[in-house]
Amino acid sequence: MTVRVLAMAALMLAAAGTAARAADPRYPDWPCTQAKVPEISLAAVWAGPSLDDVQNKWKDDAKVSALVAKLSARKTPLEEAEKLVKEFLAGSAADKTANAKLLFAGLFDTLNAQRSQVMSGLERVSRKQREAADKIREESVQLQALQGATPRDEAKVEALSNELIWKTRIFEDRHKVVRFVCEVPTTIDQRLFALGRVIQQEME
Amino acid sequence: MQAEMRKQMLRTWRVGLLFGLALAAAPAHAFIAYVSNEKSNTVSVIDTDSWTVTKTIKVGQRPRGIDFTRDGKFVMVAVGDDDTIQMIDAKTQTVVDSLPSGPDPELFAQDAAGKVLYVANENDNTVTVIDLEKRARLGDIQVGVEPEGMTISPDGKTLINTSETTNMAHFIDTSSRQIVANVLVDARPRFAEFKHDASELWVSSEIGGTVSIIDPAKHEVTGKINFEIPGLRKEAIQPVGIGMTRDDKTAFIALGPANRIAVVDTASRKVTKYLLVGQRVWHMAFTPDEKFLLTTNGVSNDVSVIDVAAQKVIKTIQVGELPWGITIAP
Repeated sequence: MTVRVLAMAALMLAAAGTAARAADPRYPDWPCTQAKVPEISLAAVWAGPSLDDVQNKWKDDAKVSALVAKLSARKTPLEEAEKLVKEFLAGSAADKTANAKLLFAGLFDTLNAQRSQVMSGLERVSRKQREAADKIREESVQLQALQGATPRDEAKVEALSNELIWKTRIFEDRHKVVRFVCEVPTTIDQRLFALGRVIQQEME
Repeated sequence: MQAEMRKQMLRTWRVGLLFGLALAAAPAHAFIAYVSNEKSNTVSVIDTDSWTVTKTIKVGQRPRGIDFTRDGKFVMVAVGDDDTIQMIDAKTQTVVDSLPSGPDPELFAQDAAGKVLYVANENDNTVTVIDLEKRARLGDIQVGVEPEGMTISPDGKTLINTSETTNMAHFIDTSSRQIVANVLVDARPRFAEFKHDASELWVSSEIGGTVSIIDPAKHEVTGKINFEIPGLRKEAIQPVGIGMTRDDKTAFIALGPANRIAVVDTASRKVTKYLLVGQRVWHMAFTPDEKFLLTTNGVSNDVSVIDVAAQKVIKTIQVGELPWGITIAP
């Protein structure tokens, strides 16, 4: 039992070490293998007319802001979202360009904010994981000492190894979730780009 | 089942042929494009008439470099993590054989006759030379660390290999298999392309953010193309794939995470237009009639279709995950 605990702890710490090495020195808490791009720049996703005159105006337009909320939600399948964009712009007639700009400005603000939220969440978890790793490292040293002591306190050894098993399990579960969540910023990038492309095509 | 399908296809084809003969002014010829999807370990087959994916072929792990054999019978795809190059039969659209590359093949080039294949093996600093008829390994050439880009001069006498680590384009004599010249370019050279008239060699540098134009006779850099997109940080502009029209007048350069293709007038060496295509645009291929240019977009998982004459994006086709390379049947 205790051998397994130590082996698991060692494995896990190795994983934590890899994460630390992979980090960009500018973002020490960033846990993902995907490079951290703090913000999507407008020019990377938009080649249409300038949005300078639009700014926050999309929030004042009830129809646009409702549509932005719907299109930004991950539960709205991308295909459906693209269809909604087309329908909205097809029904805009003379205001097409103005509406297209409002809609994209809204999507850009909203999805960028959503992305920042996910990224700071990831960094928060990453800090917690580092603390957990330190704790586990400490406790495995203690466990080793307990095991080597004579006479050996079996009750203490048992209690500490049980605790280590739990901590290791929580650490590993979190590690898996982090890996999964690391894909989310990219998914948001993809959505923003795809919707921006449809909007620009509809404007032509 | 398969035999039946083939029979039916043959029938359809015959009928199509009759129609084609009957109608002298038949619609534009449809071509078949093959796209390697690095992450999903597949190759997507695209019909350029309907602009749809007609088949997805399961291949080895991490498919990247992809090209048709000159006779149009096979598609070769480098599957890096399986340390080989697989051959897809273009008729049956299934993997039928493999070629003996070195470890982690990424990209390859073949001579004009389609007899010899040169493969850049990212992991062991060599280029493997393969006899395509016998499908056997002829030997290896030691090159710079981490070979990347590969191309061959129109006369077949010089092989160009770019190296990520040395930041050089290595000129290799194909008969002696020796390096005859090294030309320093900007950081992380990715791809090399000759003008069809062999007067210039263009090399893209992913990190340097430039394309170097080299005089292949003098082995000298004679010019550099820079890219500027208002609102985009310089590091987001990463030139990779290069496509040159047959008359050598226009070049198209994929700019990676800038999500754009730069259109370059080769005479003035100036960018005339930027086309927003898809996310992380990587490589490209022209249809044989040069009416269309297809680009692979790695992050948006799609292929953009550019109308070459109009210099406009006309279509987007979803493919597998992380599309990397593309080739179109001759």
